[in-house]
Amino acid sequence: MSAEPARADSGTADATPTGQLTPAERRLAADPRITADWTRRQTAETNLRALAGRAYPRVRGMFREPSWVIFEILLPFLGTSAYVLVYRALKAPEEYVGFVVLGGALSAFWLNVVWSMAGQLYWEKSQGNLELYFAAPMSLMAVLLGMAAGGLAMSSTRAAAVLVISASVFGVQFDVQQWWLVCVVFVLTLTALYGLGMMMASLFLLWGREAWHLTNVMVEPVYFVSGLNFPVGRLGAIGVAAIAFIPFAVGLDAMRQLAFPHSDLLVGTPPPEIEALILVAMTVVFTGAARWCMTTIERMARSRGSLSIRWQ
Amino acid sequence: MAVTEPLSAAVGGIGDPARAEGRGLVDTLRHIRAALLLGWRVESNWADPVLFAIYTVIRPVSSMLLLTVMVTIVGGSADATARTFVILGSALWAMLVSGLAGPAWSVLEDRERYRTLKYLYTSPATFLVLLAGRGGARLLTGAMGTLVALLFAVVALGLRIDPMAVDWPLLVVTMLLGLPPVLALGIVLAAVCLQTRQESWNYPDAFAGAMFLVSGVVFPLAILPDWLEAVGLVNPITWWVAGVRRAVLPDGPSSIGGTGSLWTAVTGTAAPDPLTLIGGLFLTGAMTTLVATALFRGSERRARDRGLLDRTTGS
Repeated sequence: MSAEPARADSGTADATPTGQLTPAERRLAADPRITADWTRRQTAETNLRALAGRAYPRVRGMFREPSWVIFEILLPFLGTSAYVLVYRALKAPEEYVGFVVLGGALSAFWLNVVWSMAGQLYWEKSQGNLELYFAAPMSLMAVLLGMAAGGLAMSSTRAAAVLVISASVFGVQFDVQQWWLVCVVFVLTLTALYGLGMMMASLFLLWGREAWHLTNVMVEPVYFVSGLNFPVGRLGAIGVAAIAFIPFAVGLDAMRQLAFPHSDLLVGTPPPEIEALILVAMTVVFTGAARWCMTTIERMARSRGSLSIRWQ
Repeated sequence: MAVTEPLSAAVGGIGDPARAEGRGLVDTLRHIRAALLLGWRVESNWADPVLFAIYTVIRPVSSMLLLTVMVTIVGGSADATARTFVILGSALWAMLVSGLAGPAWSVLEDRERYRTLKYLYTSPATFLVLLAGRGGARLLTGAMGTLVALLFAVVALGLRIDPMAVDWPLLVVTMLLGLPPVLALGIVLAAVCLQTRQESWNYPDAFAGAMFLVSGVVFPLAILPDWLEAVGLVNPITWWVAGVRRAVLPDGPSSIGGTGSLWTAVTGTAAPDPLTLIGGLFLTGAMTTLVATALFRGSERRARDRGLLDRTTGS
């Protein structure tokens, strides 16, 4: 036994001065992560291994089943092209084409959050994996982060492909002058998006079969209120609300402002620096809420005995 | 007991040999009805009717709003023709997406989530018929969404449809002829999903997004390059949408013909007339249905060969 024991993912019960759990605590601890009396290093290593292990099938799966190249890159590019052609048919200013291309690229992350994060724990529950996660001596946050990391690898490929191909085919000219801010906003958008995804993954455990339908309705409505193909500021109060609550809307608008700094079509929203701060706040709130939701819902599910109930 | 003794005798006269042997069309219709009912219950029994209705209409209405805002901010509210063109096309799209997703999601749901595909597969019903029935249920749900989206467009977006001017016979014929190819495309996606893993949930959406490009749903085919326009002309969805549009708005612009279109260049006519629309829909629909059936049979054989019918995947 190590001289510096700690309990993985436990922030409630106190340890003895020597760092050991008392026998009473051990009896009370129904959670194997609490009873695993590990050092902080062991805990961190286990969580990192869990993170990598959860990300692995997503990354490896990309190479094992190449059909995703057609359905995740080629077809979304064609879908984005359709929206570009709508603007071309309407003889809209060329900036709109750039807006559509950026929206099409960033939508890859939103789709990944909705399909592969939000509904994932419910899905794992249906498949019988969830109880294994709870039984394993690791933090569920590590599992969620692993899901996010693996999903990021998949969706980044799609986003980059759609962006590069669409920009080349339609001749989009980006006029980026603050690259560092673009990078910061991009990273913050991803952290906020996947933070939201982790929070929704926890919440969706509560909804049962409704989670599936919720996943379905979170695509087009969010696209609309976030201004997927047009400046979100044109939606007035709806756009303001979207900027306040939906990271996809904030990130997309900030990226557009940075990619087209001289456009007079992007009005009615805060400057990108402010939107970056909004994204920071969203990251903190969503990630913290994800952790709280996971703990609370786990406790509720344990008390109801519903962790392993499937198909409801 | 004699080996040649009928099964009904072997089980004490209870069995009905005709059931095991099959009764052709009657059985097929019965199976379609059962699959429709099953699909409908799977779709709708998780929530109360009001909540289900909200979930059903929110997607098509949002899609319509997305496109309407695009048209409005560029063209202004004065461009009523473009708005009407887009609204009608996007409302129909809800039905198409549901029809595409139905069979594919049935494969994924039954195989990976409920793990009942193997039992359904070994039931007396043909697998293809079962999937068509399940897809039909979702198509009906999508049709409800389309209807509500159109009502919303009339009330909130100022869409003007004159019931007296609607060509009802054309509308009925195009709707009836249009549904089988929509389901056939869904069957193609089901064939794909039989081979792929559970991430295929969003494949129907991606496919539908790509179909946007070559169906004349939200812009006329004339703005596409000729070769892509030709692809659009062998797509039954193009004829279906054009037929419905022509029936509902007889004086509206055509998505197939018009200045600079391949259709006008080849035929010399401004737009296909109603009979041509029906003929085009029938021909392309029949072709798509035949190809879809062949593809599905091939996929089914491969799935059986490789043991894919009861596999579960994760990522």
